[in-house]
Amino acid sequence: MSTFDIPIGPQHPALPEPLLLKLEVEGEAVVGVNFDVSYMHRGIEKLLETRSYFQGLPLIERICGICNAAHGVCYTLNVEKLYDKEIPKRAQYLRLIVEELSRIHSHLLWLGIAAYEIGFNTMFMYTWRDREHVMDMLESITGNRITTEYSQIGGVRRDIPPELASRLLKVMDVIEERTKYYIRVALTDRVIAKRTQGVGYLSTADAKSTCSVGPIVRASSVKFDVRASDPYVAHDEVPFNVITSDSCDVFGRVVVRAKELLECVNMIRYAVQHLPEGPFRIKLPMKPNAGEALTRVEAPRGELLHYTLSDGTPKPYRYKVRTPTLANLGALRVMLTSKGRYVVNIGDIPIIYGALDPCICCTARVNFVDVKKGKSWIWSLDEIREMSRRGGLLK
Amino acid sequence: MSSEEEVFNELKNAFGEKLLDHKVQKRRVFIQVSNDVYKDVVKFLVNSKGIYHLEMMTGTELKDGIEVMAHMGLDTSISIRTTVSKDEPKLPSICDVTVGAEFYEREIHDLLGVTFEGHPNPVRFVLSSEWPENVHPLRKSYVTKHNAPLREGVE
Repeated sequence: MSTFDIPIGPQHPALPEPLLLKLEVEGEAVVGVNFDVSYMHRGIEKLLETRSYFQGLPLIERICGICNAAHGVCYTLNVEKLYDKEIPKRAQYLRLIVEELSRIHSHLLWLGIAAYEIGFNTMFMYTWRDREHVMDMLESITGNRITTEYSQIGGVRRDIPPELASRLLKVMDVIEERTKYYIRVALTDRVIAKRTQGVGYLSTADAKSTCSVGPIVRASSVKFDVRASDPYVAHDEVPFNVITSDSCDVFGRVVVRAKELLECVNMIRYAVQHLPEGPFRIKLPMKPNAGEALTRVEAPRGELLHYTLSDGTPKPYRYKVRTPTLANLGALRVMLTSKGRYVVNIGDIPIIYGALDPCICCTARVNFVDVKKGKSWIWSLDEIREMSRRGGLLK
Repeated sequence: MSSEEEVFNELKNAFGEKLLDHKVQKRRVFIQVSNDVYKDVVKFLVNSKGIYHLEMMTGTELKDGIEVMAHMGLDTSISIRTTVSKDEPKLPSICDVTVGAEFYEREIHDLLGVTFEGHPNPVRFVLSSEWPENVHPLRKSYVTKHNAPLREGVE
């Protein structure tokens, strides 16, 4: 049987991010895939070389709207390593609280999108409603819903006063109760089971060999979480479990993310109740020492890396960012290709792509971004011509 | 898992004088190697030590060449760095050792112009199709022109 090429994207109604998927299909089954992520290269790495470390912070937060807290923490930790300074314990706990809050909002947002992809719109409405509690808390703590810029070089921007801390604990109670409900739904609902089990299969060996990160590898039963293997802000003091699943499919990714929500809730509770006393920020000079630093942070989508090379001037000589979606593109290619009994149908593409939690905007590891997901597709004029020339391919 | 110094000592035993320099930080090891063993060191880590995870690859233009760094590791991050000349930036591709290198090598080729020999799919990755050939934006000779204010004052 001959194969047929279908382009999906870069413009697509389902997601506002420009990724072009070139799919090779044989009948209904996808047998090959290629990407083009070149539509959104913003040159952020180059721009960072023209700004001082302090001026770079607002730019770095804009790599990604959803994981901005992770980028902010990673950048500030990275620069603080150049100064060879440890920030106060209280600032580390405050960073952890805001980072975990943003993980909750990211995972809830993803659960909603995944439910929407499989036609479960009620759950989409529920999760996005609950996400609003978290967004309100983020606004109260940091002053903004999305680009929070909470982490600053030398600490954090504001403290959490006691009355806000007690409100945060109440919100955590709400999120915990709702999350338990979502886990029950995910484990028992027939729609979710039918649409996700055995879909987007990624074996443990493939997950390792493609060097993928985050909930994708943890759903393929690889216990890899930077918070556990390379603790960066008080993760060695705040207890938590690394959630894994051995189902290796989209179902496992749903379960891993839902159970991680409970871990986030427990971490925030522990951090609020054990918040150390002391200052939340120290002053650092404009010029760091010459040297280099490499920082790893577990963003909601997986391992995030920042590397900087300093020559002792107020501006970085080289700044490099690798975002999780870039690391997961290789895994996406494996997941989208039919193998043996795991046939990938065209109708599975949206949920497989969605299960990656792609963020092309930040994927451009360093400086660019891309993304897309496919719900329907558009044939270009050339494709239609080609089809009519060959004739009868759609029989 | 091995500590920072252990990792370095094992590599030292296997490659001897080909390891030119090294630097150790907390859970980080930076090792400078010569061009000819760069791929062998990565292969040794993946196949013999079980450090399968390639975190990222960084390219940097230095004064006397272009440095390519492969960051490997799970708990301890091991950065294997090597420098290629600016006139003829060529390095063997490590895609046959670890599949994860494919996109990173294509990115470094786009942004810095390093050619990875033996890459299975050496096409453009991050730069758009309208971008001119042989212009590599992360080279220091490429100067961004849009730092000036967007609009001049009224004369």
